[in-house]
Amino acid sequence: MAQTTAHRRLLGEYKALSTNPPEGITAGPVSEDDMFVWEALIQGPEGTPFEGGIFPAELKFPRDYPLAPPKMTFLGEIFHPNVYTNGVVCISILHPPGDDPNQYEHASERWSPIQSVEKILISVMSMLAEPNDESPANIEAAKMWRENRADYEQRVRDGVRRMLGL
Amino acid sequence: MNNDGFDSVADSTDWLATPLSGLSAVEAALRCQICKDFYRTPMLTSCNHTFCSLCIRRALSADGKCPLCRAGEQEMKLRSNWSMEEVVAAFTQTRSAVLDFARKPPPALPTRTDTPKRKTDDLVMDDGDEQPSSSSQQRSSKRLRSSARLSKTRGIETTAEMARQEAHVPDPEPTPVEPDDGLVACPICWRRMKAVQVDRHIDTSCPGEPQPAPTPPAQLLRSSSSKPTSLTSVFAPSSTISSNNKPQPPPDRLPALNYSMLRETQLRKELVEQGLSTSGNRGMLERRHREWVMIWNANCDSQRPRRRAELLHDLDVWERTLGSRAPTGSRAANTGAQIRDKDFDGAAWAAKHDTSFKDLIANARRTRAQAQVTTPDEGDGKESSVNETINISDDETKTVKPTVEKVSDTLGLLDTERIVGVSVGDPPTIIQLEEGKESEPVPI
Repeated sequence: MAQTTAHRRLLGEYKALSTNPPEGITAGPVSEDDMFVWEALIQGPEGTPFEGGIFPAELKFPRDYPLAPPKMTFLGEIFHPNVYTNGVVCISILHPPGDDPNQYEHASERWSPIQSVEKILISVMSMLAEPNDESPANIEAAKMWRENRADYEQRVRDGVRRMLGL
Repeated sequence: MNNDGFDSVADSTDWLATPLSGLSAVEAALRCQICKDFYRTPMLTSCNHTFCSLCIRRALSADGKCPLCRAGEQEMKLRSNWSMEEVVAAFTQTRSAVLDFARKPPPALPTRTDTPKRKTDDLVMDDGDEQPSSSSQQRSSKRLRSSARLSKTRGIETTAEMARQEAHVPDPEPTPVEPDDGLVACPICWRRMKAVQVDRHIDTSCPGEPQPAPTPPAQLLRSSSSKPTSLTSVFAPSSTISSNNKPQPPPDRLPALNYSMLRETQLRKELVEQGLSTSGNRGMLERRHREWVMIWNANCDSQRPRRRAELLHDLDVWERTLGSRAPTGSRAANTGAQIRDKDFDGAAWAAKHDTSFKDLIANARRTRAQAQVTTPDEGDGKESSVNETINISDDETKTVKPTVEKVSDTLGLLDTERIVGVSVGDPPTIIQLEEGKESEPVPI
C-alpha cells in the first residue's frame, strides 16, 4: 500500500514534533497504525488561570489532510469561551477558508494547507491565554469572562484543580 | 511499505542535534509547504511562491488561492521552477552523506587549529561575505573538486580524519585563474564568449575540439592542461539538463472540463478514453476525472515525466484513500480492508491479537455456560446462544448478550478479528466450541 500525501505528511509532522517540540506541547498519533487520530497534551500557559493544568485533546485528521483541517476536541473538562461544552475547539485556524458561518474571521487566520499541527496547538495555547469573545462557543464562559473576570478565573482554576485530582 | 519507519522519515529537524543546525533552515526552504516533502516538480505561482506541482494543483482545485498568501491563482498561470528542482536534487543527493558526517563526533581540536588554511576556511564559513571575490572564486572551485574526490571515496571510509587530510593536501594543479573579462570559455573549444552565447555556440558554430584561442590570455594558455576537468565540471549540470529536455517534448496537457456542462454519458466516455474506471456515481466520476487531470498535468510539468502506468498507480492510491474504494470512515471497515489486502501478515496479526481472541473465546464459553444453566432442557436454545456468541462480529451486536457487547466495545475490531480468528487462529477450537457442547472446554 503506497503511502498517501496525508500519511507521509503526518508522519513527518510527528517526527518534527518529537525531535523539536514546542514548549508545553506534546502530540502524536494514538497508535502508529493509524496516523489520522492524534492525542495532544497542552500545558496551561503561565500567568493565566489555566497555569499548572495539562489538557489532553484529540485531533482527528481528514483523509485529504492538509487540504482540509483536522478537528480538535478537548478530552477533559475545560471552561473556556471558545471551547464548546462537549470539548470541541472553535478557533479560526481550524476553519476552512471556504465557509465562514460567523462572518468575522479574516481569511488570513483560517486553515490553509501550509498550517500544521504545531501551529494549531500553539494557537490553541494562546487561545487559552486570550479568549476571543466575539464568537463564543461557550456562552456562559464568554459572559463570565466579559463581565465577571474574577469569577471566571476562579472557576477555571477550580476546573484545573479537579482535573489534577486535588 | 514502511508505515512505522519513523526513523526513516527525513526531516529538517534532523540537523538540529548536529553542529550544522543551520542546515535545518536550508532544508526547510527546500521543502514544499503543503506536503512538507522536498519539492517534486516545483512550480512558481504568480505571487512568487513555490509548491510541488501536484500539491498546488490540488490546493487550487480546493480553494483557488495561494495557500501562503491567499492571492487568487489559476492552474494555468503556474510556471516551472527548474532551478529549485536542481537545488533540491543536488541537496537530496548529498544529504545523507553530510548528515552522517555532521553526526560523527568532531575530530580532535588541537590538530585542527594549527593549520592556517583551515582557519581561513572556518573564517569564511562564519562570515561569508568578507572575502574578496577573487579568492572566494578560488575557494569554491577547490571545494568543488575536493568534494568530488570525497564522494568517490565515500563508502570506503569518509571519516573526519580523511576529510581533514583532504583539506591539507596542497592542490596538485595550480588553480586556473579566470581572466576577469566577464566572459566564459566554451567547454569544448575554449573560445571565450559571453555566458549567454555558449549554448547557441555549442549548437551551431563550435568546431568540436579545443582550438587555440585567437587572442589567448596568458594565464589560460599556461594552465590549459588542467582546464578540462574543472571547466567541464562547471558546465556539466546545465548541459545535461538541456540535453534532457530536447529529445522528448513533454506530453500534452489535459484540458480541464466544465463538469456542469457535461452529460454523464459524455463524462463516462471521457473516462473510458483515458482508460479509467467508470465505477461510482456522478460525483465520483467527476472527482476521479479531476484527480486524473491533476496527476497528468503535474507529470507534464516534470523534467522527467513518468510513465503512464506509474500515474495510474497514483490514481489507484487516490482511489483507495479518497475515491470509490476509500474506507467508509468506521475503523472496523478500515481494518477490514487492510486484512483483505493481499500482502496482509496474518501470523503477525494473530500474534498481536492473541489475547483478544482468547478473551472472546472465554466469553463465548461463559455465555454458553450461562445459557446452559438458564435453559437446561432446551437443546435448540443452547444452540442459538452459542451461535450468537460466535457471530459477535455481525453488525447486529445489539442482539448479543451484554457481556459480549462489552467485549466488542473494548476491541472495536470485531469484524476483522473474527475473520482472522477463523482463518489464521485455531479453527479446531472454534469448531469444538460449536460441536462439543456437552464436553469440557478444550484449552487453547
